[in-house]
Amino acid sequence: MKRRNFIKSMMAVSAVAATPMTLMAKEEAKAKKKGPNDLDYTAAVAAITSGKEAKDSDKVKLTVPEIAENGAVVPVKVEVDHPMEEANYVKAIHVLSTKNGNVRCVDVMLTPANAKGYFATRIKLSSTQEVVALVALSDGTFMKAGKSVKVTIGGCG
Amino acid sequence: MAEARKSMIKIKPKKYKVGDTVKVDFIVIHPMDTGLQKDKKTGEIKPAHYIDNITFSFDGTPFTTMKVWETVSTNPYFSVNYKVTGKGKITVDYTDNTGEKNSKSKKLKPKG
Repeated sequence: MKRRNFIKSMMAVSAVAATPMTLMAKEEAKAKKKGPNDLDYTAAVAAITSGKEAKDSDKVKLTVPEIAENGAVVPVKVEVDHPMEEANYVKAIHVLSTKNGNVRCVDVMLTPANAKGYFATRIKLSSTQEVVALVALSDGTFMKAGKSVKVTIGGCG
Repeated sequence: MAEARKSMIKIKPKKYKVGDTVKVDFIVIHPMDTGLQKDKKTGEIKPAHYIDNITFSFDGTPFTTMKVWETVSTNPYFSVNYKVTGKGKITVDYTDNTGEKNSKSKKLKPKG
């Protein structure tokens, strides 16, 4: 009898130990699948600004083509009309798209040594959508500018 | 240093003085696979392979860091401004999501 009880109790313990483990593993897999890359546009903006409002501003000059024939190569240029001094400078430029599988493209962290809030690159766009430049200033405020781009042939897979 | 990639740093304009603001262009030959595309020959999905971190530094002090995702085009191009403070070396270090580390540098020679 003793032995039977002992085995039963052992089994119970192992079952209790096993269930949270498998659950945790499942949750982990889920988290991995979702990942930090699979945010939608509003969530991505919220993650960058941490809840603060980003206002549309004329100071951010975003240059993108109106019609992009090839979505795989879309030139993007961001210029920010803001001083780059030790106390007051452009901290970061984030380039985002609204409908790509992964909405984030590049986060650029600038320093006063850059002398000008300028950044240029080439990105991929999956379909006709808006490209947004979100600019973070050193005083904790955010500015943004968006422009829609017509894409004839998508460039994401 | 898994494999040496072709990369290039361009300083624009070509002639500059101390105190001038120059454009630092960085181009690297990299596939930037998103992990969604199929290989045309084998029909298998190509795993994601893209540059994720770039650091621009001058004589060892970083002045611009970038976090990059797969939505940047193949053979990416990045351009930032930099104010020339004197002679030195601009170095660009970049890593990709497979752990590959590379770097490229170019000397700054201001005239006058």
